[in-house]
Amino acid sequence: MEFRAYIIRRLLLLIPVLFGVTLFIFGITMFFSPGQRATLYVSSPQQMRDLPGIIEQYGLDRPFFVQYATWIGQVFRGNLGWSTVVSMPVAKAILHYLPATLELALVATPLIILIGIFFGTKAAAQKDKPVDHATRVMAILGWSLPTFWLGLLLMMVFYGYFRGFLPPGRLSVQMEVVVNSVDFIRYTRINTLDAILNLNGPVLLDALRHLILPVITISTVNVAFIMRLMRSSMLESLGKGYILTARAKGLDERIVVNKHARRNALIPVITVSGYLFAALAGGAVITETIFSFKGMGWWASQSALRLDIPSVLGFALFMAVLFVLVNLVVDILYTRVDPRVRLGGGVQ
Amino acid sequence: MSDWKFMARQLVKNPLSLAGLVIIAIFIIIAIFAPLIAPTPEGHRSPYMIPRDGYSATPQPPSEEHIFGTTQGQYDIFYGVIWGTRSAFRVALVVMSITVLIGIVLGSLAGYFGGVIDEVIMRVTDIFLAFPALILAMAIVSAIGPSLKSVMIALTVVWWPSYARLIRGDILQVREEDYVEAARGLGASSARVIVRHVLPNAIYPSLIMASLDIGAVVLSAAALSFLGLGAPEGYCDWGQMTEFARNWMVGPPGDPFKYWYAVITPGVFILFFVLGWNLLGDAFRDIFDPRLARR
Amino acid sequence: MKDLIRIRDLTVRFYTYEGVVYAIDDLDLDIRQGETLGIVGETGSGKSMTALAILRLIPYPGKIESGSIVFCDKDSGGELELLKLREDRMRAIRGNKISMVFQEPGAALNPVYTIGDQISEVLLLHRRHELAYRAKQRVDNLLSDGSGFASAAKRPFRQWQSRLYHKIGEEPHALEPRILNRIPLFRRLLWRLKDEAASLTVDMLKGVEISDAARVAIHYPHELSGGMKQRAVIAMALACSPELLIADEPTTSLDVTIQAQMLELFRRIKVDRGASVLFITHNLGVASEVCDRVAVMYAGRLCEVGSVEEMFLHPSHPYTRALLDAVPMPGKELQTIPGALADALNPPPGCRFHPRCPSATPICQQERPKLKTVAKDHMVACYLF
Repeated sequence: MEFRAYIIRRLLLLIPVLFGVTLFIFGITMFFSPGQRATLYVSSPQQMRDLPGIIEQYGLDRPFFVQYATWIGQVFRGNLGWSTVVSMPVAKAILHYLPATLELALVATPLIILIGIFFGTKAAAQKDKPVDHATRVMAILGWSLPTFWLGLLLMMVFYGYFRGFLPPGRLSVQMEVVVNSVDFIRYTRINTLDAILNLNGPVLLDALRHLILPVITISTVNVAFIMRLMRSSMLESLGKGYILTARAKGLDERIVVNKHARRNALIPVITVSGYLFAALAGGAVITETIFSFKGMGWWASQSALRLDIPSVLGFALFMAVLFVLVNLVVDILYTRVDPRVRLGGGVQ
Repeated sequence: MSDWKFMARQLVKNPLSLAGLVIIAIFIIIAIFAPLIAPTPEGHRSPYMIPRDGYSATPQPPSEEHIFGTTQGQYDIFYGVIWGTRSAFRVALVVMSITVLIGIVLGSLAGYFGGVIDEVIMRVTDIFLAFPALILAMAIVSAIGPSLKSVMIALTVVWWPSYARLIRGDILQVREEDYVEAARGLGASSARVIVRHVLPNAIYPSLIMASLDIGAVVLSAAALSFLGLGAPEGYCDWGQMTEFARNWMVGPPGDPFKYWYAVITPGVFILFFVLGWNLLGDAFRDIFDPRLARR
Repeated sequence: MKDLIRIRDLTVRFYTYEGVVYAIDDLDLDIRQGETLGIVGETGSGKSMTALAILRLIPYPGKIESGSIVFCDKDSGGELELLKLREDRMRAIRGNKISMVFQEPGAALNPVYTIGDQISEVLLLHRRHELAYRAKQRVDNLLSDGSGFASAAKRPFRQWQSRLYHKIGEEPHALEPRILNRIPLFRRLLWRLKDEAASLTVDMLKGVEISDAARVAIHYPHELSGGMKQRAVIAMALACSPELLIADEPTTSLDVTIQAQMLELFRRIKVDRGASVLFITHNLGVASEVCDRVAVMYAGRLCEVGSVEEMFLHPSHPYTRALLDAVPMPGKELQTIPGALADALNPPPGCRFHPRCPSATPICQQERPKLKTVAKDHMVACYLF
């Protein structure tokens, strides 16, 4: 199947998914009062004061599907409602908070994957030897740590003890000023990227400094998944016939493991990595909260706490789109790595 | 029979799983003997509320009276973590059993009957699974009103889809087995077939997953409490106690670790509790993984 | 005929959870130069293990306990004790002087790499110097022939390549080229090695009667039929012109028509290359078609060994005779061998076959029979002789 056609087809799949998700959550919002639901249609602070007018205008006492249709119409016009939590339109809130979370996800995911693959491979190749046990203990320990506790501990040590060496937040106050000044162009609002694009060294260092603790916190907890998966995947791969053939060809054990076994073992890891990224991009609530790293996770959790319906709905939409996109990328990667899989889905 | 013996032997042989067993055993003992280890003071309202020794906000370091010290509001930390064990077990067992129950019912219906029922249930689980668990849980708790009970409800709602899927998958496998067809051929009703033949064989992986997820449940419950959505102030809950300690995370300049006992203690309990279950779980997974042939 | 492989007193034990299994029990066997020796036996007879033992690839929890396997290298003329060889020298032998073909070609090939890549791999490993010399030839030709701007521009690179290939030709694992190979940009300098390997690969594939060799080489294993895959695997095993080719049930998983072609191929290998073949099978018919000599194994021990004519015309060991009798023939009632396979954990004492043997005598359960010569090139381990 032609590549472009395939992508278009997959993107079209977004529609039924979004339909289902939004229908579901919209249905739940029906349990709330018209006043609360009115916030779904607001796009400015002034409108917030005239809720009865909104109710009137958008017919919030009409039947369910009519309302749903109206709301969908709104969405296509770019109006996702007003987020009471952060006092800005939901669409703007998403754009505002996404960069922080993306920054975190883009730094943490490769780190997690690389470390997980490395140790998973080692553990499988030396099964039941010290390396294996050590890796498994590390993984289980990381996974057993309460994220919030780890975060607090790290803050205690690196912020408290080391006198603000690795502080919370995204940037220190001085750098905040720099970043918001006229000389600094915020291309992506991802501070590290912007710093590079602006060729601004101090901002880059500052941003990195603020990233270290959150990334460590997230990575420690999540690396266990990849480690364990890689290990069991490698063990399965190492038991296959082609490994015996490779050895019978006289190949060095390192090449057998790294070239022959690992490539096959990576296949399931790719799917999981995709979901990992999606989960992180959806925001690591606790990490963001503890380190005051205001991203999607923080926004979504605040919205959930205050029952800010437009925000929750907007977030749900975002997650649905993200999921479909991630699935698409994962499927494409699959075909790159495993020649048995064809783009149209289905195995030869 | 020798399979069970083999399994038990593997569990004990492996130092990691042995450690897990020991840890869990210790926690079980603590939970059972909580009233003896940390007796509730006379006239105290509810054993699950931590007794206070004054009203000062500043935590006090460990002393003879308060073995682990006191946290903000002069709540005795020792009492809190000991009775918190009971809380933890309660939350874990309630959430897990209801989740598995729902999962069994819905998973069986989906897996056994297939068709429209299957599709509908699968789409519903898809929607639940696409949403980040913690945020969904937070929303549910907020909507109901924060309390430990809401946390349990929220966690159940978040967790059941995975189990429904898991059980459905297992049932799909078992459904094709010969003895099921034989039972049907003999005229057994669907219900009877499901309950007597399919379920007992399909259920093992899910039960194992459930016992392992206990650690994850406690972690999530603690996280929710930490965010202020769980147990009320002063309740014997590890997460809640950590939330208290948040303000005292960094001590005065010059002595940043001053209030370490308030922050570290509840966290350590959570860590070891979850660690025990995860160690056991990891060992279980290795044993039951059909790909790792037994030697 | 001179010996190629001499196996003496080989014992291989498997330490399983349930107990110790003697996969191979005190085995003596010779493989001669240029001959095709067949090992026939049921599952658990130890035939596959013998093959793996020669290559020292016995999997965990197995262990080669004792014995000796001597390899008489035709090229160097020396005798190598394979079981005492250092691992890196053993690796130089695997795939190179002694190679192996397995039963399931689908499982033997790595699904994520092309056929060509997998065959080239073994060429690049063991024939690196040869490939380097050929590459150098090509580059040198280009250097002397080339005229015009393009040639002049590429000149320095080609000179560099020539120098590199020369180095690899002298010393296949020289340091400088190895380092360069690791650096992505410079890796391109060595592309001719892969190119030469690829063209040799196509030649190898043609050699195993794959018609569209160039196209097959760029395909993945799952895109080929079983017969093609097996041919490719054989091509891979023959790539470095081994002195001994071990084939473990190579035709068992193929259908009968392909089987016939495959056997023809094996016969040709023997004739064309003068290599020895160790042909493992459970099928007597196949053995008779392809082998010069046949050895029969049961429960890890050798029962009988001799030339094909002797074995089929004068089968001596009761087990051999039972196997021959069991071959289905139209009109004849189907014969089976009574009893069950020897329990691997608790084998019968003395002669392993005695519980199922129609001519068993008391001494058969006490002591293990030794191999005795009963005719020219024909030995049996049985108290009947």
